[in-house]
Amino acid sequence: MTIMAPRKFGDSSDGVVGGRQTRFEGDLKVTGAAKYALEHPVENLAHGVLVPSTIPAGRVVSVDMQAALASPGVLLVLTPEDDFGMRVATDWGGNRPDEPYYPLSREVRYNGEPVAAVIAESREQAVAAAKLIRVTYEEAPHVASLDDPNAGEGNLLEHLSASWGDAEAAYAAAPVKVEAEYKTPREYHVAMEPHGLTAKWDGDQLTVWEPSQWSHGMARSYAEWFGLPFENVHLISPFIGGGFGSKGAALAHGAVAAFAARKLGRPVKLALTRPQNFTGYGGRAATRQTIKLGATQDGVLQAIVHRGASETSTYGVWPEQTGAATPIMYKVENLSSEHRVVPVNTVTPGALRGPGKNPSAFGIETAMDELAAQLGMDPLELRLKNYADRDYQSGKPWSTRRLREAMTEGAEAFGWSKRNHAPRSMRDGRTLIGWGMACGTFPVIQAPSEAMIRILGNGRVEVVSGAIDMGQGTYTILAQTAAEIFGVPVDQVEVHLGDSRMPGSAIAGGSMLAGSILGAVHKAASAARDELIGLALSEPSSPLRDTGANTLTFSGGRVSVGGEGPSLTLPELMQSLGRDVLEIRRNTLPDGASMEDQHQAWTTMAKVEGPTMGEYSMHSWCAHFAEVRVDEDFGTVRLSRMVSAFDCGRLYNPRMVESQWRGGIIMGIGQALLEEGLVDMRNGRTVNNNVADYLVPTNADVPDIQVISVGVPDYNASALGGKGVGEVGIVGVAPAIANAVFHATGKRVRELPVTLEKLI
Amino acid sequence: MTRTIHLTLDINGQRHELDVEPRVTLLDALREHLGLTGTKKGCDQGQCGACTCHVDGKRVLSCLTLAAQAEGRQVTTIEGLAGPNGELHPVQSAFIEHDAFQCGYCTPGQIMSAVACIREGHAGSDEEIREYMSGNLCRCGAYNSIVTAVREAAEMA
Repeated sequence: MTIMAPRKFGDSSDGVVGGRQTRFEGDLKVTGAAKYALEHPVENLAHGVLVPSTIPAGRVVSVDMQAALASPGVLLVLTPEDDFGMRVATDWGGNRPDEPYYPLSREVRYNGEPVAAVIAESREQAVAAAKLIRVTYEEAPHVASLDDPNAGEGNLLEHLSASWGDAEAAYAAAPVKVEAEYKTPREYHVAMEPHGLTAKWDGDQLTVWEPSQWSHGMARSYAEWFGLPFENVHLISPFIGGGFGSKGAALAHGAVAAFAARKLGRPVKLALTRPQNFTGYGGRAATRQTIKLGATQDGVLQAIVHRGASETSTYGVWPEQTGAATPIMYKVENLSSEHRVVPVNTVTPGALRGPGKNPSAFGIETAMDELAAQLGMDPLELRLKNYADRDYQSGKPWSTRRLREAMTEGAEAFGWSKRNHAPRSMRDGRTLIGWGMACGTFPVIQAPSEAMIRILGNGRVEVVSGAIDMGQGTYTILAQTAAEIFGVPVDQVEVHLGDSRMPGSAIAGGSMLAGSILGAVHKAASAARDELIGLALSEPSSPLRDTGANTLTFSGGRVSVGGEGPSLTLPELMQSLGRDVLEIRRNTLPDGASMEDQHQAWTTMAKVEGPTMGEYSMHSWCAHFAEVRVDEDFGTVRLSRMVSAFDCGRLYNPRMVESQWRGGIIMGIGQALLEEGLVDMRNGRTVNNNVADYLVPTNADVPDIQVISVGVPDYNASALGGKGVGEVGIVGVAPAIANAVFHATGKRVRELPVTLEKLI
Repeated sequence: MTRTIHLTLDINGQRHELDVEPRVTLLDALREHLGLTGTKKGCDQGQCGACTCHVDGKRVLSCLTLAAQAEGRQVTTIEGLAGPNGELHPVQSAFIEHDAFQCGYCTPGQIMSAVACIREGHAGSDEEIREYMSGNLCRCGAYNSIVTAVREAAEMA
C-alpha cells in the first residue's frame, strides 16, 4: 500500500523528527479510501462464520450438520471430525510442541470456543445455516472464573517473584501499616475493527489480508500451521482498525478460514461477530492482589509485601503480572512479591494495553493513597518522600527517570496545592468533589528491525518496512525521518508498511515499535544518503565531483556543498548519476547476523530486549491527576478534569504522542468507571459480550485531558532518544480516579470498576 | 433463502442497480456489493456508530437498515462527502488538523455523525457536541480532538 503525500494545513506540517506533522495517511482515513483487511476486493469470495460452543467444559460428541448442508448457498461445514492436517505453531515463548493443530477443538475448554464453521456463497447464507447446526456435548465440571469457589489458589510462577531484604519482618516491625486486597475484572480490547481475514491460495502460495500488529510473526504462524516455507505466506495489513494487543497473533478463526479456502479452492472471508470478539481471543485477565505496606510515622516506606494472582485458561499460561510495577515505583529496602496464575475455563487471556503494569499500578498506587490517608499526609508528598533513586529490583541506575518532574509539573498544572487533604472536604451542592493522583510506568523494550530506503529517479524517497500502523503514527514518523535525512518535504516521501514480504520489524506491541523501527529507518536512510554522497563526489558524470568537497548537504530539497555553489535536486542528482533507483537495506542486528538470525529476529520474540538487559533500568513514567464529581444520592461518578504528565523521552511527533497518551488515559477511564466482563457462573459465558453491555467510554464520558511532556532524550533507550508511548498512558489512571473517589466520598473502592452500587 | 430482489439505490448522487437477498443490510450492500467500503462494520448490531451514513440527510445506522429500505431515498456515505474535485469537507479537514482519529476505523462514522450534528444544530457547545457525538464509539480515544474538530467545523459552517 502506497501512502501518498499528506495534505498540509497552515504551519502545522513539520517534516522533521520531533515536528508536529499531521497524520501522513490522514486523507485516506477521512475519505474512506483507506482499505482495511476485509475490504480488499477479491473475486469469487466465499464467506465463513464460526459456531461457538455453548458449554464451558467437556467434549463434542457429535455435530448434526445435515440441515445446514442442505441450506441454500452452503459450500462446506467444518467440525472437529475434519482432519485439518495442520501442525501447532510456535507460541510467544518460542515453544513449538510437535503436535497436530485442530482449530475446531473436540475438547471444549471454554464457553465460546469455536466447534464448527460454515462456509457459504454469502455471509447471510452462512449465518442462517450456522443456526441450523446442532452440537451434542458431553459436559464436564467447570471453573467459571477467578471468583469460582473451586478456582483454588493456582500455581506460583517463581520467575515472576521479587524479593530483597526481609519484607515480612520489616512489615511486622513498622509503626504504620496498611493491608488491603485489590481486584480488577476481565477487560476487553474492543478494537473498533472486528477480527477477521480473507485467505486466498494460489497453488501453495497463501495470501492473507488480516489486521496485524506483527506481519512477519503472524505470517510465520500460517506457514508453520500448513508446513509451508515462510516465503509462501503473504500477509498484508496496511491499515489496522485498532489492536491494543489483540492483533499480534494468528488465531483459530484464521486457521479455519485458510483451511477452508484451500479445501474449497476459492478465497474465504471470515470475520468474528462482535460477540465472538469477546471469546475468539483473550482480553485482560481478572486479577486480585494483597498489598501490605509498612512505614515510619513520618511516611518512610519500610516494607512492601505483595501477593497477587490472575486467571489463565486451562490450556495456556498467561500471567497478568500484578507485581510488574510494584517493585520499581518506590525506594524500599524490603520487598517481597509473588504472582500466581489460576486456571479457569476461559479463552487464554492476552496482552491488553499495559499488561501487568496496569493492574499492578492499581494495587500499589491505591495502597500508597491508603497509606497517605492513614498518615494524614499529602499523597504527592508521600510519593516524593519515597522517590526511588535507582531501580531497587535490578540494582541498576535509571537511564532517565523524570517521574519527580512529572509529579511536580502535573501537580502544578492541576492546582494540586489547593487540595484540602481531608476526604469529603470539597462539594458543590449535593455533588462531592474529589482530587486523586497516581503514577504509572511502562518498560522500554527493544527489538531488532530492518528497513529499506529507495530513492527513485524522480526524486521520490520510499521507506519500506513490514512494520505496521494501527494509529500510533508509524507512517508519519517514518516519513518525517526520511524527510529530515534527505532534506526534502514530507510530500516527497512515500511509506510502504504492513506486509510480511517487506523488511522485518519489531511487533507493534510492548510499546517497542517506534523506537525499534525508527532506529532501522534512520540507519538505512543515513546509509542511502552516504551512498548518494559517495556517488555524487566520485562519478564522472556528477556536477558535484569537481567541487573537491568531502561531504554534501541535503537541505531545502537540494544537494550542495554546505549550501554554497552548485546545487541539485534529488531528481537532477539521480539523473546525473544515470540511476533510476538507489536501494539500501539495513537492520539493527549485530553486523554479520546470519539469514537464520534475521528470520528469527523478525518472526519470533527471541531477540527482544527487556528494560534491564543493559547497564541501565529503562522505563517510561507518568503521573495522573484526576478530579471527580460524585452524586452522593445516586453514587454516580463523573470524571470532570484530568491532567497527566509523562516522561517518555524524546517525542518523535508530539501531535501523535499526545493522541496516544489521551487514548491510553481514556481507556483507563473506562477501566476505572465502566469496564467489566461479567461471567455467568452457571455456564462460564461472557454475558455482556457486546458494546451496549460491555461499556467503553463515549465522548460524553470524557472531559478535556491536559497532557504534559517532561521527558528528555534517552539515547540508551533507543537510537533517536524516545521511550515507549503507547501503553504508559493507561497505567495509573484507574487508581488516580479511584483515589479521587475516596477523596470525594471517604469510601475506598478496591475493586474495579468504581460503579455506583459500591458507593451507596 | 435464495430469492433476490432488484434494488435501485441513489448513493452519493449516483444510481446503483443491484440484486440482493431481502435480508441484506444497507451496510453490507455498500461494503460487499457496491465496493463502497468507507462505511465501516464495527458491531453489526447498532451499538458502535461506525456504520453511520446519511439517508435523506439524516444520520442512520446502516447496519440496522435494510438495503431495501433505502430505495427511493438519497444515501450519502463518506465517499460522497468531499467536493467534486476532491476538496475535503470542512469536517474532514478539521479531523486531520486536530488529529481527531488514530486507527481511522470509526472515523467515517464519526465524520458522518459530525456533519449531521452540525446540520441538526447540535454543535452549539462542547457539552452539546459531546452528547450528540456519543453514539459513535472511538476506542483509540480521540474524543477531545473530535470535539475540537466538530466545534471548529461548526464555526466555519
